[in-house]
Parts: sequence; C-alpha cells; structure tokens
Amino acid sequence: MDFDLENPLTHLHQLHSDDASLFLTESDHMLSPSYLHTLLSSPSDFAVRRDTVSFISQCCSNSNIDPHLSYLAVNYLDRFFSSQGVPKPKPWVLRLLAVSCVSLAAKMKQVEHNLFDFQGNEGFIFDPQTVHRMEVLILGALKWRMRSITPFSFIPFFISLFKLRDPPLLQALKGRATEIIFIAQNGIELLEFKASVIAAAALLSAAHELFPIQYPCFRKAIINCSYVKKEENEEEKLVRCLKAVEEIVINGHERGMDEMEERSETAGNVLDHHFSSSESENTSAMKNRGDKDGGKKRKVGYCNNQRVQTREIQQC
Amino acid sequence: MEKYEKLEKVGEGTYGKVYKAKDKETGQLVALKKTRLEMDEEGVPPTALREVSLLQLLSQSLYVVRLLCVEHVHHHKSGKPLLYLVFEYLDTDLKKYIDSHRKGPNPRPLPSSLVQSFLFQLCKGVAHCHSHGVLHRDLKPQNLLLDQGKGVLKIADLGLGRAFTVPLKSYTHEIVTLWYRAPEVLLGSTHYSTAVDMWSVGCIFAEMVRRQALFPGDSEFQQLLHIFRLLGTPSEKQWPGVSSLRDWHVYPQWEPQNLTRAVPSLEPEGVDLLSKMLQYNPADRISAKAALDHPYFDSLDKSQY
Repeated sequence: MDFDLENPLTHLHQLHSDDASLFLTESDHMLSPSYLHTLLSSPSDFAVRRDTVSFISQCCSNSNIDPHLSYLAVNYLDRFFSSQGVPKPKPWVLRLLAVSCVSLAAKMKQVEHNLFDFQGNEGFIFDPQTVHRMEVLILGALKWRMRSITPFSFIPFFISLFKLRDPPLLQALKGRATEIIFIAQNGIELLEFKASVIAAAALLSAAHELFPIQYPCFRKAIINCSYVKKEENEEEKLVRCLKAVEEIVINGHERGMDEMEERSETAGNVLDHHFSSSESENTSAMKNRGDKDGGKKRKVGYCNNQRVQTREIQQC
Repeated sequence: MEKYEKLEKVGEGTYGKVYKAKDKETGQLVALKKTRLEMDEEGVPPTALREVSLLQLLSQSLYVVRLLCVEHVHHHKSGKPLLYLVFEYLDTDLKKYIDSHRKGPNPRPLPSSLVQSFLFQLCKGVAHCHSHGVLHRDLKPQNLLLDQGKGVLKIADLGLGRAFTVPLKSYTHEIVTLWYRAPEVLLGSTHYSTAVDMWSVGCIFAEMVRRQALFPGDSEFQQLLHIFRLLGTPSEKQWPGVSSLRDWHVYPQWEPQNLTRAVPSLEPEGVDLLSKMLQYNPADRISAKAALDHPYFDSLDKSQY
C-alpha cells in the first residue's frame, strides 16, 4: 500500500485522460465560500489566520523541516477553519492548533519527529495527550481526508505540457513555481482558487519570469489543456488567478520572501550552477518589478540568464 | 455512531465485523466496518492516517466501493478507540450472482456481454488501484460488489496494509480462500507485485464463464496442483527463478492443457486474454491497463465506462 504522497500524479502524465481523478475530485477540497468571506470581511478572523499560519512557520523553523510539510499543515488549518469556523483569538488555542496541524502533516509525510521539536521556547508547551486530542478533533473536522490535493500535485502534469527538454530548465521552472506557491500561502488571495488553477498560474508566472519569449506558447498550452478547457469560466479563473499571483510576486509577502531566501536548493541555485558563465545584460527588468533590497539577488539571476535559456528551449 | 441503526451483521471482513446499517437521518443504507485503532504514545498512528486517506482517494473511482466517511469512537465499555469505516452498501456480490446462475430454479450461463462488461470494470478498478501503487491482494468474487440495477461492479475490501496487518487467517479463523491466489504467492515469494491481482482477475474471469471456480484447492499444495494440472508444471525456462522460490518442491510433471477446454463457451479473444492473465512468470502477465486495450473488449461500448 505504498504511494507517493509528494507526487501522487507521477502516473498521470503517462495515463493521460483516463486517470484524471485528481482533476475531478479537487473541488471536494475547496474551502467554503463563507470562510473566504469572513477572512475578507472580518479583520479579527484575518488576524487569527495570519497569526496561526505564523505559528506554523515557527514550529517548522525550529528544525530543518521540508517546506512542503508546513504547506500541508497550513492547508489543514485552512480546511479546519473552513469547516469549524475561525476560533476566538486565544493565543494558546492557536498555538495548539498550529502544533497539531504540523504533527498531523509530519505523520502524513512520514517525517520522524518529536512534538517538542515543534514547540519553540515561547511560553506554551503542550503535553502529547493534549496535542493528540486536538489531532483527533482536526481529523474529524477534515473527515480523515488528510491527503490534501495541493497545487504541487499538478505541477508535473502542467510542466509536461511545456515540452521542455533540458532538465535544469525544468528544474528551474518547477523550483520557481514552487517558491511562488509557498509565498502565496501566507496570504489569502489564492484561497478561492482550485489547486490545479493555482499550479497553472504559478507555473505561468514562473515561465513569464524565466522564459518570456516562450511564455505565450506555454500559456496557450495550458489554456488548451483539456482539463482547463472542460470547465466553464476556467480560463477566466486562470487569468484572474494569474493576476493575483503576479501581484503577490511583485509585492512579495515580506515574511514569506525572507523565509524563501533561507531555503536551500532553489530555482536560482540550479540556474546559477547551470549558467554560471552567462553575462549580465538585463537588470532593468528587476527595477520595474519594484525590488529594492539586495535580498532579491536571485531574481536578477533569472533575468541575466534569459538569453541563454531561450536558446535551450525547444520550439513549440 | 448514533447516526446509524445497525440492521444486521453481514459478514466478517478481513479486518473485523461488517454491519449493514441505515443512516437514521437520510435512510441511506451503508456498510459499517469496525476496526480497532491501536493508539500508542504517538497518538493516531501515521500508518492508519495514511492508509485511511489512501482508501478515500481510491474510493473516488466508480469501480471501487465508496468510503463515505470515517467515524472515530471509543468502545462503550473498554473505552478503547475504534474506527468505523462507513461504505456505500450494495446488496449483492459477484459470488452470489454466479451462484444464482448455477443453482436455484433457473440455472443459466451469465450473458456473455455481462461477463465482458464486469471484466472491463474490474480491470478499470484494478488499474486505478495499481496506478496509485496499491495492491488489493485478495481479489475474489465475494469482494466484488454489484449494483444490479446499473450493471456496475465495484471492488471492495481493499487491504489496509500495514496499519491493520494482513492476517493469515481471517478474523473468525475461517480459512482464507486460496482459489484466486497467484502461484508466486503460493510458492512463498515475498516480493510480489501488481501481477498477483491480475492472476486473481484471470481466475474470476474464468469463473464467470464457467460458473464454478477454476482452481478450487483446499490447501496450498492442492491449490498448486490444480494450477499445474491445467497450465502444466512450470519450468525454469518459462518462469526463470521458479525453482528457487521458498516453497518450491519437486512436483509431478504435467503438460499444459488447452485452456479452451476449461472455458469452452468463451470466444477465442477471451481465451487469449485469459491466457495472458494466467502467465506463470509475473513479469509476463498482462497489466490491468494493457488488458483494457485487449481485442476481447473491442465489441464493448467503452464510452459508457
């Protein structure tokens, strides 16, 4: 009974349309409209989510934890709030929720862990029984559907539509799209969109940064993909999501960006290794993007490398 | 669990009792499967978490029995944690269906178009499980539930692998049927693959055509002899490594029979597909996905599946 939680669609790009169950079922994993509404209309509910998400980041920053784990934990948190309502802003409740979501995510991702690793040294330390009771509450609220369908599930499928030949370029595109998805989770702008739409928008945004010449071609490939085409308004939703993603990328979510900088092997690294000899020629684009501080060096790297990359890409 | 009214015990699944029950609110019939949840110092075990969520994923296929919800309760006396898996309820299974065509007032063959349709759906369901890396390991007619009105077949009793370790004997110590067990499993191979399920599919296919089991062995040894008598005693040439398997012995040497004699009413394309499902060497056995494209299904209107 083994399966790859990280990459449940490993087989999809081979199976094509006859096993598109994830596309069919991702709607079941959507958040309730009333949750989205309350986040937009109630500043205190918005603050509760923001603070709990931040607690989750703290839990995960203590040890060297895979960022996908904290992504999954925040996903559980959103689904929990969506089904149970946003609780009163009691810090200990929010911390307990954060620790329990991280613990559940660690179990699902088979990460060896100790509950105390997740609980910094800031005040609240919960005993295991308390966390386990909270876990059971979360499981009930999430109906034991712990295998969340996230945008990461769809990345390999959409990437395969681009017909990129060079593995380092694929890696760079995937890395950048992944970064964008991580950053976006700190905010609430993308919560209304389906996981596949977020994946497609993040990839397109990454492609726009990395391969501007091929971008229209990529965009066409995604929009023409049967899963996107099939549903009404899907294209319009994708366009709206892409716009939201672009805004997130330009403004950055300060905290998210800082965390991203600390994360290890990113798209930037891959490109830096691959094209370390390429000359700098285009830094003006970066200024337009509104980056001010030196912490965004990697983006400059992307632009520098455009000329080299575009030659590597297969015509489509 | 007050939500459900238990109507009757309908069986002993591999992992515990199964009840037919009714949702008091909606009147919907459900099958309740009760399993004990071993909680330890880490709370809900990660294996249980992963496997229940995987069952939920698999049950999204039309050809897998749908897991409607999961209820976590405590035993009313011992306080031990229990997990109820709530499945959709179907009132018949392929075993009962075949029996009704063999015995009773009106014995008759299963319509060949129905055999074709059931086999196609079975392959679809198995392909779905295999594409998610999941083996069933105990496919048999009792585990294939039927919605007779719609002509739909659904795979049930998907194994919960590690969290609820597969018992050698069933819950009530009744003997687990060996009839659908692949030769590599009978011979003690420990590294078995998706091919074990395809062997079972082949046995079930033949049973639908014959209305009786293809290899009705009553012990592991007898089971192997049944297989060898029809398909010939396997040789190193057709199945490299067979004589090194743990439980391999020296067997009488039988020559393979013509498979058509076991399923005389089956058309040639069907016999060809059956022979590909009953290949000795697991590596040569047809996959569920490839079976769906076999010419036997050419006359089937695939658009409705």
